[in-house]
Amino acid sequence: MNRRPHPWILEVVVGLCAGLYLLPLLFLGLVSLKPKAEILLFDHILPLRWTMEHYHRLFSNAEVIPIGSWLGNSFLISLFTTMLVVAASSLAAYAISRLQPHWGRWFLVLLAAAMMLPGQVLLVPMYLILNALGWLDSPRALVIPAAAGAFGVFMLTRFFRTIPDELEAAAEIDGCGAWGKFIHVGLPHARSALVALGIITFIGTWNDFLGPLVFLDSIRKYTLPVGLALFQSSYANDYGLLFAASVVSSLPLLVVFVIFQAQIVRGISFTGMKE
Amino acid sequence: MNRQAGSPGAAVLFLLPFAAAFLVFFVGPTFFGLGMSFFDWEMLSGLPPRWVGGGNYLEALQDARFHRSLLVTGLFVFITVPLNLFASLGLAAGVSALPKRQGVYRSLIYLPVLLNITVASLLWRWFYNTKFGLFNKLLQPWGLELPWLTDPALALPSISLMTVWWTSGVSFLILLTAFQQVSPSLYEAAEIDGATGWQKFRFVSLPQIMPVVGFCLLLEVLSSFKVFGQPFLMTGGGPEGATRVAMQYIYETGFSFFRMGYASALSWISFLLIFCVTLLHRIGSGKGRAGK
Repeated sequence: MNRRPHPWILEVVVGLCAGLYLLPLLFLGLVSLKPKAEILLFDHILPLRWTMEHYHRLFSNAEVIPIGSWLGNSFLISLFTTMLVVAASSLAAYAISRLQPHWGRWFLVLLAAAMMLPGQVLLVPMYLILNALGWLDSPRALVIPAAAGAFGVFMLTRFFRTIPDELEAAAEIDGCGAWGKFIHVGLPHARSALVALGIITFIGTWNDFLGPLVFLDSIRKYTLPVGLALFQSSYANDYGLLFAASVVSSLPLLVVFVIFQAQIVRGISFTGMKE
Repeated sequence: MNRQAGSPGAAVLFLLPFAAAFLVFFVGPTFFGLGMSFFDWEMLSGLPPRWVGGGNYLEALQDARFHRSLLVTGLFVFITVPLNLFASLGLAAGVSALPKRQGVYRSLIYLPVLLNITVASLLWRWFYNTKFGLFNKLLQPWGLELPWLTDPALALPSISLMTVWWTSGVSFLILLTAFQQVSPSLYEAAEIDGATGWQKFRFVSLPQIMPVVGFCLLLEVLSSFKVFGQPFLMTGGGPEGATRVAMQYIYETGFSFFRMGYASALSWISFLLIFCVTLLHRIGSGKGRAGK
């Protein structure tokens, strides 16, 4: 016992390290609230004069910086992608684990083999296929292909497998078909996994960079990360404006994280637990 | 019994949305891309694709710029992955040993992961700015002024450092969960034997979580190989191509020069390289298990 370091020493060390992770985020917020001259000089950490001028410039200039459109695009694309992924994955996982568990197992093996291929191999042919479909420069190009993601199918299959057979048998006696069992037994049973999958998908889509960069063309159709990247090159040293835009594009996810922290942590840990 | 016999129709219907998307947007592009890599297809020329057999692969073998980009990618993986693993393992061990407030630290360390790549790159470009960046401001009292992103030798390590800050929260979270799942009775047994904190970490926790560490290692190697956004946004691949990674070279070949066949061949080559690494990891972890 006496050779153990005091817990508070450990906590100080951990706290300092965590501070290093947090500090850059604080700078992001603080710089966005400083007047231009103070940003360039940067003699004080806190602003001498707090100002919202960068945010005013950001939102009063929709012709040049359509950040409102980018916010809307990001939100709608993330929302529809999430709904589609959760729906397609849960249906497929239910079929694999409950309706046809015998050949479902073989289907999973096939999927696992396919998962070895990373997305980068698909980028060029995907571009050409979306071009042939006439979907380039449209949100469809980002939303619909997401339904092919196998991660959710794997994750939910594990959950559906743990449904007790008696529960489904009882539902059958009540006259439930496959659809009824899925809605009344399957989905409620996997509720936490569905929420986790939804949040992970939402965050991943919100922050996706390569997809919108390659598949979208018009500035007004951009999502936040790509729009922001575009206008950082034209406003290279206007850090006040750039940081205000960064805060606007990060805040929604930070809020989502704070609200759904427990589910997100559980969801991320799923990826770490291999069967 | 009748449940399994009676529902093949329903199963097909349930599987349909995912399977259709999987066929069109995964299986299709995979084979399309593989086939395309044997054609010379310059989209801007307006000419139809022309069969060149292994021509694109031969060209890649002699393409010095591609080799350089592979080398840069390898170097990035080599610098980033150990740093990332070290930081996340150390923090996970530290936080899991705290008597309370584990959740607070867990969130703080995970927060940067939530930023999108543009914001993270923008922020660190400001930190790294030679003239008025924060880092050189901090170094000023010592008369130092480092060319963080403008020196060919320093640019890649600078991007690695930013990447560790931005991404280590993922491994940290996975490892923390693993630490928290180590049975307390094991620690109690070690304490009765008079183990110190370090000994408990070395001989109790570490062996227990080793498989998870291996998993994080693989995860980080794979994602570092795919690096694109950080150098693309912070240096544009410069200075003098010192940070032009394979993914950026493929992106430029495909979407600046529209050489679709060649870009496909390049993606397949880099995929095969990653695949070999995964295979090595498989063999390595298999051996580790056999040795236990």
